[in-house]
Amino acid sequence: MQEHVQLSQKKINDDLLAGVLGMPKWWLGAVGFLLLVIATGIGAYGYEINKGLGVTGLNRPVLWGFYITNFVFWIGISHAGIMISAILRLTQAEWRRPVTRVAEVMTIFSLMAALSNIMFHVGRPWRLFWVYPYDFSRGLFMNIRSPFVWDPSAVMTYLIGSTLFVYVALIPDIAVVRDRATGKFAPKIYGMLCLGWRGTPRQWKLQAIAGILLSALVLPVFVSVHSIVSWDFAVAIGVEGWHSTIFAPYFIIGAIHSGVSAVAMIMALAMWMWKLDNYLRPDHFDAIGRLLIVVATTWFFFFFVEWIFALYTLESPELALRELQVFQAPYMWLFLAFLLTSFFIPVPMWLFKSVRRSPGLMFLSTILVNIGMWLERFLIIIPGLARRQPLQFDWGSYHPSIVEILVVAETFAFVALGMLLFSKFFPIIPIFDMKEGMQVREEIKIGRRIVPASIRETP
Amino acid sequence: MASHNASGHNEEHHAEGMYVPFTSQREVVNDLVTKHDKISDKWLSGVAAAGFLLVLGVIGFVMRVNDGVSDRMVWAYYAMMFSFILTTASAAPMVAIAPRLANAHWRRPVSRVAELWSAAGIFSLLLFIPMLWILPPLTDGRRSLWFYNSDDPFFSKVPVYSPHIWTTAALLSLAALGIMLLWLSAMPDLALMREHSTGWKQKWSARLSGRWIGTTEQWNMLHHRMGIVGALYFMMLVFVHYLVSTDFLMTLVPGWIDSLYPLTHAANSLQAGVATVILTMFFLRKFGGYEDYFTLDQFWAMSKLLFALSLLWFWFWFSSFNVFWYGKKPSEQAVLKYLMVGSYQPAFMAGFILSFVTPLLVMMWNRVRKSFWGPTIMSVAVLAGTFFDRLRLYVAAWSYPGVGDYRVDKHEIPFDSIPAANMPGVPDVLIVLGVIGGAVLFYLLAARLIPPVSIWEQKELMLYKLHKAYHRTEVLVLGKPR
Repeated sequence: MQEHVQLSQKKINDDLLAGVLGMPKWWLGAVGFLLLVIATGIGAYGYEINKGLGVTGLNRPVLWGFYITNFVFWIGISHAGIMISAILRLTQAEWRRPVTRVAEVMTIFSLMAALSNIMFHVGRPWRLFWVYPYDFSRGLFMNIRSPFVWDPSAVMTYLIGSTLFVYVALIPDIAVVRDRATGKFAPKIYGMLCLGWRGTPRQWKLQAIAGILLSALVLPVFVSVHSIVSWDFAVAIGVEGWHSTIFAPYFIIGAIHSGVSAVAMIMALAMWMWKLDNYLRPDHFDAIGRLLIVVATTWFFFFFVEWIFALYTLESPELALRELQVFQAPYMWLFLAFLLTSFFIPVPMWLFKSVRRSPGLMFLSTILVNIGMWLERFLIIIPGLARRQPLQFDWGSYHPSIVEILVVAETFAFVALGMLLFSKFFPIIPIFDMKEGMQVREEIKIGRRIVPASIRETP
Repeated sequence: MASHNASGHNEEHHAEGMYVPFTSQREVVNDLVTKHDKISDKWLSGVAAAGFLLVLGVIGFVMRVNDGVSDRMVWAYYAMMFSFILTTASAAPMVAIAPRLANAHWRRPVSRVAELWSAAGIFSLLLFIPMLWILPPLTDGRRSLWFYNSDDPFFSKVPVYSPHIWTTAALLSLAALGIMLLWLSAMPDLALMREHSTGWKQKWSARLSGRWIGTTEQWNMLHHRMGIVGALYFMMLVFVHYLVSTDFLMTLVPGWIDSLYPLTHAANSLQAGVATVILTMFFLRKFGGYEDYFTLDQFWAMSKLLFALSLLWFWFWFSSFNVFWYGKKPSEQAVLKYLMVGSYQPAFMAGFILSFVTPLLVMMWNRVRKSFWGPTIMSVAVLAGTFFDRLRLYVAAWSYPGVGDYRVDKHEIPFDSIPAANMPGVPDVLIVLGVIGGAVLFYLLAARLIPPVSIWEQKELMLYKLHKAYHRTEVLVLGKPR
């Protein structure tokens, strides 16, 4: 990175621990507001439990609505963490350093939000334990053919793996906080959490190996999670638009599109809120913007192939569904908004370097992407179910109720609150990684030019 | 932050990490130009062997021509070999494009090895020509990407030879882009040959290198153009696989509607392309005298790619299989029965084991990945697996009775009447050998015209790398130009 700012280790500690050891003025207000939204959502959910699923807009034939849309959306967002961290770590991309933790932490909270959506959707959450065999002596087992077993199993595995991933990368930073925390309990808690970290060569070696191993191990889980979510739809042959073999890779690349966009969005927010201009440079936004051009274009190609093959069948129900999505209100407006916001507005924007290097414009364009990707999931799920079948007894449409809207809003507030709380207790930019980045950075002079370089250990 | 002068440090000799065996750029030039100028016995033997195989293939082709073009079943192995070359040789240049875009230094000796396979792209274009006569027009009622429908007033206007027209155009574009990429990347080396070679080679390189003298403007333009042509090559490669795997494969098997398969076809080709390049590297190292350039760095990096793409093979295959198998739709069950568990089961199992199971079990070990023999043997396995995978799909599709016959249902295979496997005859075996020989011959001839190791990229690496002491160890410093 040519725009690199060389900082002393003390300066890095001071900057990146400012949010942990102190408290910005806006912090309490933001937490209060998010708690209010969450409380409203929980209240709405309590009402739903009390009255039953009838208070939602779900009815025959549309029995999967906002909650499932939101579930798929949050699973998608969760893919950013591993995409950014594991893959960029394995490929030794230097620009990853300040970005990784934001992405990893977002993974954890978005997975929790996704899991909660399944609970909101089932209507009788107290029966959730049926997902797992709860009493071997009775010979009762879960129905392994059900998506309600696949999804929690995959998502829980991913959640555990991602939490370990974050924790291992966090240990050296917790030790830094331990040494600076004041009060009666904080040093003790941080002391316990950092597992006696002293920064010996052996500890560093083990930490690095664990990070690489977890990166490699969590990658297949990352792929499996959204594949399984996509198969919830794709293996069903009764709903037009769902039974498509491309769904698994299509969902994954869509997830990466929305997830990486969300990371760029949070990077901009973090930069503004914690004044991290020295760490999150225009170069980082530029790198993410380039990555997003590739990801978005690939995603659009998958979308295009999915559509072509839907038309290629020449089966009238499939064609009728596509007609409903594109030519009939209200779906046609949503479809138009989806295309514009997920691809046709942001990607041309990212083609300009000045846009990619502007945190404000990147923030704006990536918000658009996530609006578009939420709509994409909605348009996959709802029109397929709502399409009128030959038998008229269950003709109907879907309108989300206020309960669903409040509960969905709660998940957004939950993730935001989680990120805020995390950043209050732990550094949101990895301190040790930034210091390492400063150490391995070099320059090579070639003629009159100075080329940025980095140190690699000889194999 | 220290600043170092590259030239000062490169005078040291280091055995590991982005190894360059020479201390000056002049030595690199001399070594590579001398190697390229010399016509070795091994190269002549290779040309003779490949030429002999090609002659056998031509004999097989003539025998098949005598059978006529009306029965597509006899051309099934020919179609399979066309797709095999498209999958392997035409995908190999991607190994040059992607790491170059990512600025990976290990790719420097590998780039040209990969780009030279563009020459075989011309061969795949030649192989495609007879297929234009063999594949029927869309009038038989089969599904098509071009939505031809004789009963519809609008779609009846679609040209009935649309698959032929568009696939030809795409293949032509792919071949042209491949040659353009090779030429662009070779231009600085051709200019060097213009200065250092003699005879016909000097004339040839003078003509092709144009006015290249290596000004800053020319270098900037070259990098820019290579980036654009590389990106276009990748897009065209995916598009060609999309067209071929749909119009020349899937539409021939009634009921086979697999939206993922065009991408699977392309992903498989990336895996086979990497395997092709690893195998070529091995031969150049073993028999071409390039052991100083193809070191563990290159084999290690390439084997990681091969391993990742082998895992991708499984994921794509399983994504399609699971949806068909779990969905239990009769038409899709029949397709599975025909292509995987029925007559072509041995070929499917061979493909599955060689393209996925073996690479997974063997290449998960770093010791294997970081060796010369491990990636090479796995490349052979992957190429053999790709061969069997293409065999079970293309031979099955081209042998399905009724293609071209409008009276036969094009939308569903009857589950109980799965056709038997089409076993190869003598002409088919000759064609298989001939096509492999032809592709290798094209490569060997191209490697006589253009150095198989990029001279300018090797020289550039000497500028971007240096070794330095760091506390108690020694580290490699690599420059990453923007």
